[in-house]
Amino acid sequence: MADRTNLKETGAAVRRRRRFDGWTLLAWIAGGAVYLFLVVPVLVIILSAFSPNPYPEFPPTEFSLRWFREVFQSEPWMRAIGFSLWLMVIVTVLTVVLGTTAAYGISRLEFRGKQALLSFMLSPLMIPQVVMGIALLYIFTAMGIIRTMAGLVIGHIIVSFPYVIRTVGVSLSNLDPKLERASMNLGAGPVQTFFRITLPLIRPGIVAGGVFSAVTSFGEVSISLFVVSPSNMTVPVRIFNYIDQTFDPSVNAISVIFIAVAVLALIIIERTIGLTKVM
Amino acid sequence: MARTSRTPGAESAGKYRRNLFSWVMLTPGLIFLGVFLAVPFLLLFVISFRDVDNWMNMLPTYSLNQYIEVFTSRFYLHMIWTTLWVAVVTTVICIVLAYPAAYLLVRAPNRAVRTALYVILVSPLLTSVVIRTFAWIVLLAQNGLVNEVLMKLALISEPLRLLWNLNAVIIAYVQVMLPFAVLPIATSMGEIDPRLRQASMSLGAGRLRTFWKVTLPLTIPGMMSGAIIVFSLAAGSYITPLLVGGRLQPLLPLAIYQQVLQVANLPLGAAMSITLLLLVGVLVAGMGLILRRWEGRLHG
Repeated sequence: MADRTNLKETGAAVRRRRRFDGWTLLAWIAGGAVYLFLVVPVLVIILSAFSPNPYPEFPPTEFSLRWFREVFQSEPWMRAIGFSLWLMVIVTVLTVVLGTTAAYGISRLEFRGKQALLSFMLSPLMIPQVVMGIALLYIFTAMGIIRTMAGLVIGHIIVSFPYVIRTVGVSLSNLDPKLERASMNLGAGPVQTFFRITLPLIRPGIVAGGVFSAVTSFGEVSISLFVVSPSNMTVPVRIFNYIDQTFDPSVNAISVIFIAVAVLALIIIERTIGLTKVM
Repeated sequence: MARTSRTPGAESAGKYRRNLFSWVMLTPGLIFLGVFLAVPFLLLFVISFRDVDNWMNMLPTYSLNQYIEVFTSRFYLHMIWTTLWVAVVTTVICIVLAYPAAYLLVRAPNRAVRTALYVILVSPLLTSVVIRTFAWIVLLAQNGLVNEVLMKLALISEPLRLLWNLNAVIIAYVQVMLPFAVLPIATSMGEIDPRLRQASMSLGAGRLRTFWKVTLPLTIPGMMSGAIIVFSLAAGSYITPLLVGGRLQPLLPLAIYQQVLQVANLPLGAAMSITLLLLVGVLVAGMGLILRRWEGRLHG
């Protein structure tokens, strides 16, 4: 034990010395600059959204809600927001159900090729989305659901699915297997055990997965562009078409709404399962 | 394991029922992904061998013509090369910048600072890529913020053309994808036992030597997993290049998008997609192999 206190003392000495270390200072400056680089574009958008001028200026001179008013009074923007929200709800519910059941099934089974199957289920995170977009464009055309809500829902489920598999997977692996075994030993069948024991215990993972699905669906554009119908656009697709052609400051206001949604989602994920576990 | 005094028969019947239930749970998800992920890719692969007539109608014949076009035209070879180059540059910059950022996250002096850094890192991941890219249009446009600030400081007399080139694409890529690199590096940094560093320093190694010999090797797995994600995203995105680089950049995902939606030559688009998929797949698998080798060396 004497050794350990010794080590602690050395550690403290090292730490004291480190405080004035040039390298540490350098690391902090470099790190700070990187965070600045990450946050500046977001701040610029937020500042421009609250400025009355069509072009961003720094430092901002006036505060106004003009662009927000414009968005909320514009019929096409409101229609797109309504459609995106609707889509988000459908996608979230379906993805959570499909993802939770699949994550449960695969976590409780042992078979050859389980790892490969898991990689397959997580693969939409890595596959170039442009490739997924055309693959779906072709099959949806063949099935006659191109440019329909169904096609969009399917495309969004595919990209949200891996998140639910991950978050629910984390919850399942934290679950004490003794609880399920006790339930079965007391005579409950697997179905009853799942609904009475497992489901309530993995709720944080399910909620986090749902939040991920919701924000993924709400912001999805790469696949949507291939399968969306021009008369029923989602918000990101509409933004894409807008900024591809013109520069419209109401996009700033919309962006602020998106950023607010992201921060809200972040809080929910942190409260339920913890950010460090899933990212 | 706490076993009850059940008979072996009942035990195995229970196990059978549990397994059956697990398979029933797994099946809907599998069928869904089978129909809408595996089958579409299989079809895409098949289409890439189809021929087209002059009006881009698919013919019933199969050949390697699309691949021959991709791999013999200098235009497409240059495009493949540029795509990989942009992805590699983005990955390297991301990893270099992610390292100090991860260090700050791990060494944050208190919970409030760490939470703030986490919000900065993760909230962009939850925001649409269109919006993150849009921020760069606002910044880099002719009448954008960067030009305005430079003009006010009288460093330039005319606005610079910052958008519509590959540099703009790389800058936007780096900012959009940086969090994917920071998080795994921070994870592997946080897992390092602080006593290892203390031991190294108390044995007389300086800060730099300790970093090279202890910290850096232990964070290589985090760097590799970050690099894998960033590389595959940077090689496969088309939204960001389209918006800040313009339609004419020689990037494969961009060309696929145009080939399919504008030229309507699906077989050529499919062949380019399969090429992209294989290139990214092979390189990512290679990086994965290095990652596992290294992890084996560290823990084996």
